[in-house]
Amino acid sequence: MATTQSNSKPIGRTILFGSLTAAFYTGFFAYGDAIAAQFAQGSFWAAGPIATVFAVSYLHGEFASNLWSVLGISAIRKDVRKTTEATKRPAQRPVLNA
Amino acid sequence: MDILSLDPTKFIDLSAMAIIFLFLVGFIGGLVSGFIGSGGAFVLTPGMMSLGVPGTVAVASNMCHKFPKALVGAIKRFRYGQVDVKMGLIMAASAGIGVQIGIKIQQVILSLWGSAGSDLYVSTSFVLVLVLVGSYVMKDAIKCARCGGEEETTSLAKRLQKIELWPMINFPRSGLRISLWFTLPVGFATGMLAATIAVGGFIGVPGMIYVIGVPGLMASATELVIAFAMGLGGSINWAMHGMVDIRLVLIILGGSLLGVQLGAIGTTYVKPHMIKMVMATIMLIVAVSRGLAMPTYLTKLGLMNVGPAMLNLMNKVSFASMCLALLVGSGIILGSMWLGRRTQLAEAA
Repeated sequence: MATTQSNSKPIGRTILFGSLTAAFYTGFFAYGDAIAAQFAQGSFWAAGPIATVFAVSYLHGEFASNLWSVLGISAIRKDVRKTTEATKRPAQRPVLNA
Repeated sequence: MDILSLDPTKFIDLSAMAIIFLFLVGFIGGLVSGFIGSGGAFVLTPGMMSLGVPGTVAVASNMCHKFPKALVGAIKRFRYGQVDVKMGLIMAASAGIGVQIGIKIQQVILSLWGSAGSDLYVSTSFVLVLVLVGSYVMKDAIKCARCGGEEETTSLAKRLQKIELWPMINFPRSGLRISLWFTLPVGFATGMLAATIAVGGFIGVPGMIYVIGVPGLMASATELVIAFAMGLGGSINWAMHGMVDIRLVLIILGGSLLGVQLGAIGTTYVKPHMIKMVMATIMLIVAVSRGLAMPTYLTKLGLMNVGPAMLNLMNKVSFASMCLALLVGSGIILGSMWLGRRTQLAEAA
């Protein structure tokens, strides 16, 4: 198979995380109503929705990030941090009972 | 407000239209959040309620989608050097106190004047804060645009930074040093607003820019840290009461994680004043929207007399204008990204 794709286009990762996300959503919604009802039990079941959204954040978040890169939409400038000139501590601090 | 009296098993049946609506609003809300640090929540909660979701479940599910979205957006923007984590965590701590006070105020109003009084309080807060802050941000954004898009630290922030009041805190990422006592009120107000209108960023971001002196780009990114911290705490609380409909959360998250990354990328394409421009535009349109909802509550309280047909029409226009706020905001973001990319390509050529 000819592999002429650019290294900057993470096609493999997009397919991998896209598949994992699709599998996760398919598996979840196959039993969506039952899982939602179970997670609505409250108390320690609260860990269910919280853990689920963290898992989706990782899988779908990675997919989304790679997808935009593959589509050629990526950041123009990477770092906009200001200089730390303003953060210098004063040579002499004010003292109350000077 | 006894949330335990609600039946959490009354989750709605999901139709194809509901799924498409939630996904799209999630995407647009995510786009706006990734760009200005907040937004989307004000449409999602009433939007879910219009689908038949009980109010408490809508609020809980909205919050449960908000914190992972904020996390993903914050990580993305951290990679661009736009997030001041230290500022975000300090602000989040004080915002947590603001949320608690805000909830207490809501409870007092609810017990004194009932749900119509509470709704009127929420709408009045919406209109007042959004008109005052939104107008100021818009004025500043127009001024910035006229002078080439360069941001200047406000004289108030400069004066506050000069006051040596213990404990002084260094924020190397934002490039400033200021007393803790001046950051706390901004965080507190953010939490109060979050507890009242569910969008604390409408005061958090302008507060960080104009009171503390954080650059606009940095303030909008840091707001995502605050939203994550507050949202996680709130979501755990709601989930422990069984109010989160995880199906709704995952559908919204499906759209919003795509949108939030696009919005975060968008911040690198535009001049910093565009963040203010988008935020002010959304704030002012939402203010009009909430203003249109006020006669309903005034009528319920017997302070105004408007016919049901007119109230119904005003409520529909109110909801439509909230959707319009998101659409206009996302339109400006996508348009700015397109222009920014074209300029970049022209410069590179």
